[in-house]
Amino acid sequence: MPEVAIIGAGQTPYGDFPLKGVKELFAEAYQEALASVDKGLDPNLIQALFLGSLSAGNGFQLGQLAPLLAGHVGLPDIPAVRVENACASGGFALLTAVQAIASGAYDLVMAAGVEKMRDVSSVQSKYWLGISGDTEYERLAGSTFAGIYAAMARRYMEEYGLKKEHLALVAVKNHRNGALNPKAQFRREITLETALKGVEVAYPFNIWDCCSTTDGAAVVIICNAKKAKDFTNRPVKIIGWGAGSDYLAIHDRDSLTSLKAVKNAAQTAYQMAGIKPQDIDFAEVHDCFTIAEILAYADLGFCQEGQAHRLLEEGVTSLEGRLPVNASGGLKAKGHPIGATGIGMACEIFHQLRGEAERKERQIRNGRTALSHNVGGSGGSATVFIYQREGE
Amino acid sequence: MGAHISVPMYQRSLPQRYRLVGLKCQKCGKINFPPKGTCKYCRASTEFIEVPLSGKGYVYTYTIIAGGGAPPEFTDQALIQGSYPVAIIQLEEGPRIMAQLVEVEREEIKIGLPVEAVFRRIYEEEGVIRYGYKFRPVVPPCKP
Ligand SMILES: [Zn+2]
Repeated sequence: MPEVAIIGAGQTPYGDFPLKGVKELFAEAYQEALASVDKGLDPNLIQALFLGSLSAGNGFQLGQLAPLLAGHVGLPDIPAVRVENACASGGFALLTAVQAIASGAYDLVMAAGVEKMRDVSSVQSKYWLGISGDTEYERLAGSTFAGIYAAMARRYMEEYGLKKEHLALVAVKNHRNGALNPKAQFRREITLETALKGVEVAYPFNIWDCCSTTDGAAVVIICNAKKAKDFTNRPVKIIGWGAGSDYLAIHDRDSLTSLKAVKNAAQTAYQMAGIKPQDIDFAEVHDCFTIAEILAYADLGFCQEGQAHRLLEEGVTSLEGRLPVNASGGLKAKGHPIGATGIGMACEIFHQLRGEAERKERQIRNGRTALSHNVGGSGGSATVFIYQREGE
Repeated sequence: MGAHISVPMYQRSLPQRYRLVGLKCQKCGKINFPPKGTCKYCRASTEFIEVPLSGKGYVYTYTIIAGGGAPPEFTDQALIQGSYPVAIIQLEEGPRIMAQLVEVEREEIKIGLPVEAVFRRIYEEEGVIRYGYKFRPVVPPCKP
C-alpha cells in the first residue's frame, strides 16, 4: 500500500467574516496551501478534491458544492465531492483523500473543509445544529447539542468525581493557547473564575464550556509519499488512520463516559502506525464542549478511563506539559467551522511538526509524532489520524 | 432550513410517543426502544413482537436546558419556564430513553431518582400539537 504524505496545508483565520462567502474562504485556504509547498506545485497535478462541509454554506449550495468550489479556484475538471459527517465532515474528507492515495488510485489530491456559520440567524442556527443528533428521539425531547454533551458530563461527574472546575480547566487551557494563535477566533485568555461563572447553557455547562459558531476553511494537499520529495524536503507522513461510528442517540449507547467510535478509530490508527499512545508527542482533539476533551484523553489512550481530569490537574496537556493538547486553542478558542475543523487540525499539526508555528511561544519543541481526533455530533462518527515527520 | 419532523413522520411514531411501544426480539428476548430494524442486542434478528413498556425507571443522567438555548420547537416552553430539565431515563425493561422531567423542582433532580412516564404536550409546530411522554418522580402511595 502506498504511503501518504502531506506536502502543503493552508487555512483561513477562523472567526466572523461578513464579507466572505464559502467561495472566498475556500480560495483563501487553497492559495495558502499552494504557497506552502516548498518547491512549488503545478495545480494541474491535483487529481481530485474531497471537501468536508455540513451546511454547504448554510444551504447556499446544498448540491454539488465541491465542483462549484473547485471551479472557483481554476480546477473545474477534477472529480470533486462533498463528504458529510456533521462535525467530523473534515476528518472524513481527509480519510477519503488518504484512502484514495493509499489505494493507488491517485498520486496527489486535496482534502478540504469549509463552513459559513456566521451568516445564520440564531434561530436558524439551532435548526442546523440540531441536525447532527438523533432528531426524532433526542431533539424532540427538547434537548440540544450542548444538552447531550452536558448529560454525558453529568454522568461522568457521578461515576468518576469530575468537578465543574475540571471542565473549566479545559476552557482556561485552550483559551490560553488560542491567545497565542493569530488564526484563532478567540485570542484572549480567561481566568478560572471567569470560566466558572459564565451564563448557564445546559447544566453543568455554561457558555465557556461551549465552542462558538465560526466561519473558516482549510486545505491540505497530500500525495503518494514516494513523490513527496518532488515538492518538499520536509513532508509530513500520515502513518496511521482510523474511523468509527456509533448510535447517534446517546441513550442507545452502553456508556456515556466514553465514545466507542473514537476508541475504535484510535485503535485502528495506532495499530496501522505501529505505535502506542505513549509515543504521541502532541495532539489536536475535538473539544466542541469541555467534556469532549476530557472524554478524548482516555478514548485515545492518554490515560485510563475516568482519570482524564487528573491530567488537567497536573498540567500534562498544557502547552509546556509532557503531552500538549490543542496548542491551536482547539475548537473552544481557535473556533469550530464545522466542515473545516478536521482539516484545520491537520494544518496545525503539519506546521507544528515542521517548526513553523507563527509565533515561537506556541511552537511545540521536539515534536515528531502527533495525533488529530475529529468527532461527528456527540460521537456518532469519528476519525483519528497519526502524523510523523522525518528524523529523530 | 434545517432538520424538522413533519406531521406524517410524527404520526408514524405515535405508538412510541403515546404508549411507549417497544419491540421484543424473538431471538434474544430483549426489548428495543426506540424501534430498530435489526435487534440492537443480538444483531441477529428482525423478528419482533410489540410490547408496551411500563414507563417505570430512574434518572440515569440529566441536564437543565437554559431557555436561550432551547431547540426552536421548544422556544415557547423555554420562554414560559425559563429553563427545563431533560433526562436520560433507565427504563425497568432495559432500554434508556431521553425525555423531559416534569412536576419536579430543580433541586430534587438527581441520578437514581425513581420516575414514571406521563402523557404530556411536547411541542406545537405547523399548527399541530405534538403529544408524547415525559417523566415525573414516582409519587409514593397515600398512607391510610
Ligand atoms: Zn435480539
